[in-house]
Amino acid sequence: MPCVKVTAGVVIDFDGRARSLLDALEQQKLEVNFHCREGYCGACRCKLLSGEISYINEPLAFVRKGEFLPCCSTPLTDIEIEIP
Amino acid sequence: MAYTTFNRQINDQMKEPMFFGNPVNVSRYDQQKYGIFEKLIEKQLSFFWRPEEVDVSKDRIDYQNLPPHEKHIFISNLKYQTLLDSVQGRSPNVAFLPIVSLPELETWIETWAFSETIHSRSYTHIVRNISSEPHKVFDDIMLNEKILERADDVTRYYDDLIDGINLYQRCGEGTHSINGETLSISLYELKRRLYLCVMSVNVLEAIRFYVSFACSFAFAERELMEGNAKIIRLIARDEALHLTGTQHMLNIMAAGDDDADMAKIAKECEEEAYAIFRKAAEQEKDWAEYLFKDGSMIGLNKDILCQYVEYITNSRMQAIGMKAIFSTTQNPIPWINTWLVSDNVQVAPQEAEISSYLVGQIDNEVDGGDFGDFDL
Ligand code: FES
Ligand SMILES: [Fe+2]
Ligand SMILES: [Fe+2]
Repeated sequence: MPCVKVTAGVVIDFDGRARSLLDALEQQKLEVNFHCREGYCGACRCKLLSGEISYINEPLAFVRKGEFLPCCSTPLTDIEIEIP
Repeated sequence: MAYTTFNRQINDQMKEPMFFGNPVNVSRYDQQKYGIFEKLIEKQLSFFWRPEEVDVSKDRIDYQNLPPHEKHIFISNLKYQTLLDSVQGRSPNVAFLPIVSLPELETWIETWAFSETIHSRSYTHIVRNISSEPHKVFDDIMLNEKILERADDVTRYYDDLIDGINLYQRCGEGTHSINGETLSISLYELKRRLYLCVMSVNVLEAIRFYVSFACSFAFAERELMEGNAKIIRLIARDEALHLTGTQHMLNIMAAGDDDADMAKIAKECEEEAYAIFRKAAEQEKDWAEYLFKDGSMIGLNKDILCQYVEYITNSRMQAIGMKAIFSTTQNPIPWINTWLVSDNVQVAPQEAEISSYLVGQIDNEVDGGDFGDFDL
């Protein structure tokens, strides 16, 4: 079960109850921006500081190096992220 | 150099740059230099909708009961959106098609612009329903100073580019005397105009609609003008895709592998890019002030809306690697996000409110029993 460390000091276990990282973050009452929740708008982009994620569906949104889209991804390994 | 609708030069399309290479000859999608544009086309097509599918009839009563200052907010936003989509329904085609060199990008541009024409048609659908004199609403757009002020900045970069392309494709690089006027153009200058144009369109797609969107959804939060809100959600879904398209274009340009000049230009134009964002944000804040000049609406006022403009401007800038220019870091109206989620957008024909599927306005509800003695 990969664990998700958020720079605000929160640590979340990604235990499969959440569909995506965005869902998991929201379940912890963390506020992440979003619009489409489907990978095409880019509104949810966060920084991936360490670890690896995988996309549920390959997103269309433009993602810069070091960033990822939590709305359409799950962690592959333990990850550390920053919510802008 | 001169444009031709079917370039006879046999070329390897995979080696063409996005713009200013050979004009496209065969529209083929079996190979793509940038697969993202093909994916955007597919997504946009899957979003297809028709304004008439959305029943806006209840909005008429809602609108009649709005106090005058809220009527002003509603109708002004519609006028402004009409202006923006009038421009967007034609300009990507007119400006970019004569210089594009990749079939998937060419088709993306056409698909993009086509979806903007649907937006324009939807405004007529909305206005016809709430007003018995729709012509008055549309006629005013060309007279409304607050809207015309914006039109100038929305169209300037397109017009500069189109003007340069005309000269270049007719006369080539250099200084030319045309009707007694001396005009110069270089390919590099054209590329600069292209970059600034894409940047300004990016800002249009990213920021300019969102003040109106916020107002539409604020009405709908009060269960008012819900037909309109439904249409706005469909429009917002399309706009998000257009924004993704311009962000990819800007990124490909700035990276320089596609065209080394473009990377250089992106650096040279950095300050101007900041200025374009800043000016658009200021104009949208002025617009918020104009909207609320006679009074705020429940859930929204000028200050909240201005903060939202700043917030969204920052996030759009950071998305393409620029620095935030405002100190706002919080979304002052987080409830807007749920209105922008795509799977909450219902356009399924089965949906009861969709008027075109209600035959003679009789709801065709069917339950299992109706098929009782139905054999195949
Ligand atoms: S919310 Fe749109 S890409 Fe994640
Ligand atoms: Fe549009
Ligand atoms: Fe658009």
